[in-house]
Amino acid sequence: MISAAQDTGVYVYGVLAPDAPSPPGVETVEHDGLVALVREVPLAEFGEEALPAHLNDREWLEVHVRAHEDVLASAAEASTVVPFRFGVICHDRSDVARLLDEHAELLRRDLLRVRGCEELGVKVWYDAPEATATDEAPAGGRAYLERRRDDRRRALELAASREALVADVHERLARCSVASVVNRPQPKELSGRDEQMLLNAAYLVRRGDEAIAREVASLHAEHAANGYAFELTGPWPPYNFVGEGA
Amino acid sequence: MTGLAAEDITLVDLVDRVLNKGVVLTGDVTLSVADVDLVYVGLRVLLASAGTLDRLERER
Repeated sequence: MISAAQDTGVYVYGVLAPDAPSPPGVETVEHDGLVALVREVPLAEFGEEALPAHLNDREWLEVHVRAHEDVLASAAEASTVVPFRFGVICHDRSDVARLLDEHAELLRRDLLRVRGCEELGVKVWYDAPEATATDEAPAGGRAYLERRRDDRRRALELAASREALVADVHERLARCSVASVVNRPQPKELSGRDEQMLLNAAYLVRRGDEAIAREVASLHAEHAANGYAFELTGPWPPYNFVGEGA
Repeated sequence: MTGLAAEDITLVDLVDRVLNKGVVLTGDVTLSVADVDLVYVGLRVLLASAGTLDRLERER
């Protein structure tokens, strides 16, 4: 008989507080008060060589990245969860227990840090208003150079004012949060939008706290006329507030 | 505040979190995939497909 352990691994979604209900359809491994949310996966798909190859398949990527998020979002709805990054896979259930044991300190710290909290994402977009073209043709070389210089100066001023606005926005939102992380804005090739992403931030807030949503709404009212748009996403499991770097 | 339905979340936003953030534990008891820069692979796939960007646009 072939041992099943050779064909399967145990995928770990994240860790729950000991008293938390686990989402349906997901197994758990408990060790010393830490509860890992797990699922048995075929190594033909999730093995060391197979997984990176599968991530190159857009359909596979989408299905499994959404599945990861769905499990964690459903756990986070009910209680506190420490989300793992996609692709933490152990050989078997006893190795999951060993993993919990080896990293107990970090996991307990993270559980404590995000307890009763959820993550919100805020993006600030900027769509430059149409440049006001001056109809009059430049009178000569000197006028042309002066106009070029003025244009450059105006562009620099605009860039500086955008930067100041983004810093102010983040400060206002951070004041409504327990913790915050500023990530690199997504380039247009990824966002698929014509507008430029100026801020891509995550805020950790008390569960159900609507202060950020209110702030985003008033920021929108203040700045929409000048080409700025504000996007709120979430609540997310607190991906940005756990792990070594957090 | 109501959460977004999973379908409403763009794939880029998901990949940005699920493959890029969260706890990464490595060691003897895990497969070594955890060492791979997964987000790089994931985002490259999204960029490689022009159709993806069209679809993401429609999803917004």
